Amino acid sequence: MNIQTNKWQIGRRRALKGIGATMALPFLEAMRPMTASAQGVSGVDPVRMACLFMPNGVRPDKWTPSGDGSNFTLSPILSPLEAVKDKVTVISGLTNRPAHHGDGHYFKSASWLTCTTIEQTDGANISANGVSMDQIAAEAIGSQTRLPSMELGIERTKSGVDSNVNLTRLYGSHISWKKPDVPLPCELNPRAAFDRLFKDRPKNATGGASRDASVLDAVLQDAKNMQRTLGAEDAHKLEQYMESVREVERRIQNEEKAMGSGQNISPAAHEQIRELDKRINRHVGRSSKADDIGSVERIDPTEHVRLMMDIMVLAFWTDSTRVSTFMFGNSVSNKNFSFLDGVSGAHHSISHHKNDEDQLDQYEAINTWHVAQYAYMLERMNGIEEGDSTLLDKSMILFGSGIRDGNRHSPHDIPTVLAGSANGQLKTGRHLDAGNGEPLAGVYHGMLSRLGAPVKKIGDARREIRNL
Amino acid sequence: MRFLLSGLLLCTTITGWADDFSSVVQPFLEKHCVSCHGETKSKGGIVLHDLTDVSTAFEKHELLENIIDQVRHEDMPPDDEDVLPSDAERAEFLAPLEDILEKIKKGDVPQSAGRVVLRRLNRNEYHYTVKDLFGVKFNPARGFPADGAGGEGFDTLADALFSTPSLLEKYLEAATQVVDSVYESPASLHKVIIAKPGGALDANAAAEKVLTFHATRAYRRRVSTEDVAPLLGVFKRGQQDGLNYQESLRAPLTAILVNPRFLFRAEAEQPGKTEWPLTDFELATRLSYFLWSSMPDSELFRLADKGELSDPKVLEAQVDRMLKSPKARALSRHFAGQWIGFDAMVNEVNPDAKRFPEFDQDLRRSMYYEATQFFSHLVKQDRPITELIDSDYAFVNERLAKHYGMNVGVKGSKLKKVKLNDKNRGGVLGMGAVLTSTSLPMRTSPVLRGVWILDSLLGDPAPPPPPDAGELPADDTMAGGLTFREQLEIHRTAKSCAGCHARIDPLGFSLENFDAIGRWREKDANGKALDTQAILPGDVEFSSPSELKGLLMFGKEKFARNMCRKMLSYSLGRPLEYYDEAVLTDLVNQLKSNDFKTQSLIKSVVLSKPFTHRSAKR
Repeated sequence: MNIQTNKWQIGRRRALKGIGATMALPFLEAMRPMTASAQGVSGVDPVRMACLFMPNGVRPDKWTPSGDGSNFTLSPILSPLEAVKDKVTVISGLTNRPAHHGDGHYFKSASWLTCTTIEQTDGANISANGVSMDQIAAEAIGSQTRLPSMELGIERTKSGVDSNVNLTRLYGSHISWKKPDVPLPCELNPRAAFDRLFKDRPKNATGGASRDASVLDAVLQDAKNMQRTLGAEDAHKLEQYMESVREVERRIQNEEKAMGSGQNISPAAHEQIRELDKRINRHVGRSSKADDIGSVERIDPTEHVRLMMDIMVLAFWTDSTRVSTFMFGNSVSNKNFSFLDGVSGAHHSISHHKNDEDQLDQYEAINTWHVAQYAYMLERMNGIEEGDSTLLDKSMILFGSGIRDGNRHSPHDIPTVLAGSANGQLKTGRHLDAGNGEPLAGVYHGMLSRLGAPVKKIGDARREIRNL
Repeated sequence: MRFLLSGLLLCTTITGWADDFSSVVQPFLEKHCVSCHGETKSKGGIVLHDLTDVSTAFEKHELLENIIDQVRHEDMPPDDEDVLPSDAERAEFLAPLEDILEKIKKGDVPQSAGRVVLRRLNRNEYHYTVKDLFGVKFNPARGFPADGAGGEGFDTLADALFSTPSLLEKYLEAATQVVDSVYESPASLHKVIIAKPGGALDANAAAEKVLTFHATRAYRRRVSTEDVAPLLGVFKRGQQDGLNYQESLRAPLTAILVNPRFLFRAEAEQPGKTEWPLTDFELATRLSYFLWSSMPDSELFRLADKGELSDPKVLEAQVDRMLKSPKARALSRHFAGQWIGFDAMVNEVNPDAKRFPEFDQDLRRSMYYEATQFFSHLVKQDRPITELIDSDYAFVNERLAKHYGMNVGVKGSKLKKVKLNDKNRGGVLGMGAVLTSTSLPMRTSPVLRGVWILDSLLGDPAPPPPPDAGELPADDTMAGGLTFREQLEIHRTAKSCAGCHARIDPLGFSLENFDAIGRWREKDANGKALDTQAILPGDVEFSSPSELKGLLMFGKEKFARNMCRKMLSYSLGRPLEYYDEAVLTDLVNQLKSNDFKTQSLIKSVVLSKPFTHRSAKR
């Protein structure tokens, strides 16, 4: 990254400060050129990608649209997507074959983005046996933005062991795998997620190296000394730590280089960042509050999801990151959904509907709520103009689940929707029947190449699915 | 992979079993099991095709127990298989497996102290440690992600504690907050900056004193000049940048709290040995994190420095001292909380607000504290662990007493120990925290409660339900003419369900008088009389919490072994291996000879070989 490119970088840290002189700059210039010049090619805007995970599958008879190709009708569960129908592709027939092994939930969620067979373990040797596709992307293109990637969610990491299937519940709470043996936890607190993107790092008053930078410098030096004295397994654990230090160091360097280089941000984005800041304060307060036993305040689930989605949208808009994952809940989540009309009970319980009409209706209502939140995010992105199209057009926003019918944990024809055209690289407004048993990994293969992070092979796919 | 055949002795001992394995066990598995539990299918997450030799059998000893159970009770292979083993074949298959299990439990197999991988402080440990180091009043770890867990189900498991860039950012932020808060208070700062330049002491020498003092405490051992050098380097850079003495110490103090020697609990290698006693400092650290979830205090440091802590008498005396400290509450909150499951009360448990408007934050906290206080009482007063199954007392405040329908005259929010006349309430089975966290948001679940008793109390988890088993309605008011119990009865008549549910459900039925938030009730949600009649296989009949507890008391040794297993794993931060089974046998025997007293268990764990030693290999 050279100083030339940094000059164009948008000043996220300034966003909160109300900077007069630069406010007048036209939006497009402010938002666009950083990567165009970074890549030095044809002024192509960066493509952004988010992967949204829904736990516990879908009501199968109300999911698949009728009709094929561009002549299709949205199903009841997908009906909230009507307003952006021409910008989505519903993909049928996919399966994640490496996840057919193992139990009905954990094997199919932990590997949703890795397309691998995870390690059967209650704790030792935790591994997805592969890197998730969002992290493959972050590794390839993440250095060009403030954060290589974001991992967001709304449900706490579930602790302990599911003794039914002898698996650590950790597998149910993580879809992003930085390394086969390093799962990335979701940030649940909108305040923390927001600050990570838009808040200033405290600076050293005398203008020397920032305190953070000198701290990291010292600990890395010490970690190297320490590592020499450790056995192989211990040294490997410490290596995870050292890699994390190096990554945070890189981040701080990038931020410092961008300092004082005439950054600016569009007034429109600026305004929305301030708005979101206020909304987060209304719902969460200045920091995450916890009482004496550690209980945190509950945020209205719909609002919680929307705050997280708005954070993703603004992160993409300001090009603070190009890669994000979001978990609506953990695998086997028994979140109480009785805040929805007609639903009384918990998600996982209801997903085991036994084909009971009433249970199926409740299951459908829960599924539809998830799709409605997805639609909210897509509509927000579609309302943000970027160049001659919209932020949504520049992106790929994936929505799906690791299983189809939750009642049977069915791994066939798993629900998948891809929205946005990746800057015209994908034809949208379609129901794409990929063919029975086409690998889910084939979708990821195609997404990664459109993101500028191509791979030869991911999971069980060496090529993208046909007609993507 | 982890188990390496070591030594000739082992090779000669296992030859006999190896023969049985290849001639009897393997053919049986081939013929009856691997078509569903093998490479292609792995029903219930069980795979048996790789169970090919005795050393694998050691590693999978818990699976052996499961296999023996299933085959003996004729639950497996399922009745609808074309070829079923004869009784003689079953017996012939079971004998060598039981023999292996027996030898493992007796320690008649190669023993090892085991090896814990480099262990990061979890978020609770980080909180308590920083509090002990710098006296901060807030919880700087509140924004850390919850740590996953594994092994026996605890967040002390080293393997499940990862380092990620986002966590490192949080460490950096927390350390900055902690140090800045110290700087904001002149009194705290005075305690932290223990030396200032003056007289013969120049700035570097004074800073070295300060940093050596804090690094020693934070790294939990005597530090070397090599350890302090990087910190001192940061101090000097601050001075070069024109910061004054005090300000130049901000960054190196922050660096201590982000340092891997602080964040991780390293235990030194001792090259050339296969197994060795921990150093006294390492032992002090294990001990304090076990009992306090925090760093050793000055007394432990003093004893470790003198090399006296590893003396068993000194260790026992220290356990006595430490259990008297308020810091020992951490054992109740985090060990008992995760084992018994009332930890879920903190955030996870979420009774439906419309159905149970009474369930507010005050009740949530009261229930949580009732459970922790009960366990702390067992520890402090050295009560028998069997009081977890049944006790004639409970801890309640005014709110809980009202909730439980007790007329005991307790006022205010503080919990008080009260004598119980009601035989149904005492022990963990009568606690709101347990009854609520084993229920669903809208209703009780006899199945969940039954599974919890088998799994958490007795350490005997039921196998998973088949994938299409289905569930009962989430809401028990919509039971369509049938009582909830009647629906469950229909549900479990399915062939594939009956075997397990015959063992699970009755346990839960007998608790049906407790509703989903732990209140006593006589009628179900539809106003119909409850049917709490429970019959376990073997015509064991009971119909109340009190009778259930009587039944569990018969199984107190099984309960004790499970508690030993949980506590040993929690204290070690690693999953238990086959060689730990003999240690458990020993712990149970000691516990029995000490009238099941809680403190005797804690001491036996602390004095055990896996706790005091480390092996070169896992």
